[in-house]
Amino acid sequence: MWLPFMGLVIGVIIGLLTDIRIPEEYSNYLSIAILAALDTMFGGIRAQLQNIYDEKVFVSGFFFNILLAASLAFLGVHLGVDLYLAAVFAFGVRLFQNIAVIRRILLAKWSSNGEK
Amino acid sequence: MSLKKKVKTNRVVLSLVCIVLGFMIAFSYRINQNERSKGMITDRQWEQNISLRNQLIEQEETNRALQKELNEKQEMVRNYEAELAKEAEIYFNLAEDAEKYRMFLGKVKVKGNGVKVTLSDGEYNPNEENINNYLVHEHHVFKVINELYISGATAVAINGQRLTHNSYIICDGPVITVDGYQHPAPFEITAIGDPEVLASALNITGGVKDQLVNDEIIFSLQEQDGIVMDPIVGKK
Repeated sequence: MWLPFMGLVIGVIIGLLTDIRIPEEYSNYLSIAILAALDTMFGGIRAQLQNIYDEKVFVSGFFFNILLAASLAFLGVHLGVDLYLAAVFAFGVRLFQNIAVIRRILLAKWSSNGEK
Repeated sequence: MSLKKKVKTNRVVLSLVCIVLGFMIAFSYRINQNERSKGMITDRQWEQNISLRNQLIEQEETNRALQKELNEKQEMVRNYEAELAKEAEIYFNLAEDAEKYRMFLGKVKVKGNGVKVTLSDGEYNPNEENINNYLVHEHHVFKVINELYISGATAVAINGQRLTHNSYIICDGPVITVDGYQHPAPFEITAIGDPEVLASALNITGGVKDQLVNDEIIFSLQEQDGIVMDPIVGKK
């Protein structure tokens, strides 16, 4: 269980240390991509807790969602429609749902443990 | 075995995903922070900015005013300098004139090229009953001196005594008196001026030389370089 956490820490460190400059208008895409990534992460956690976790689905979903969200935002900028709102909305709703499910499962586990 | 391997790969892939996620989060955070620190300004900073800008404008205005003043002052200084130069020139000219007039008046020693005229009494002639006919008289001296002055002599002296604008020459028997000093013959008249002009003026046909020679006076004329005349002594 420590390996993913280590990976997260390493990723954060790399992100803080790299000195890549990207134009300001692309930072929006990055935000959307992060939202997608977070959504996928929590989805994966929920799936794990519900014992329906599939690695292929998780990994492909992770990268595909990131790309999709970023390209959606890109398309929105070029079409003049705030399409990234769609991504924000979709991922946001799913994020909350996932977190709620995780919470319920954890609560159920905890209460069942307490009963024991 | 296979289950364990699967779990292991699972962890590796998961950590890879986590690396990407962490990277993205940190990167985005950093970018946003940069943007915030760059783009957003608080009210206090804004006010400070404006006040600094106002100060800068004020400074520039004062600078411009001072620069203008400096230019004016420089112009004034230049005028003063020009005036001073003019004054200096005037003074220089005045000094030069004063020196020149002093030379003309005989207040200082003068030196220059010129001619020397010597008038001597004629040979004793027993046939001539009146010795006045071959003596040098003051009117002979006058003639020579006037001719010299007319032809541009700037200074004239008789036997080394300078003549001034109010000199007098009188006949005093065998001698002539110049400004109270008596001079016997022969009379040496020196004049400073253009030697050629002075010599040819005296030598002109029917001129002073011929008249003096007619009066049995021994007349000798020679051009001389570096004639020195002492200043007039005594009064005035």
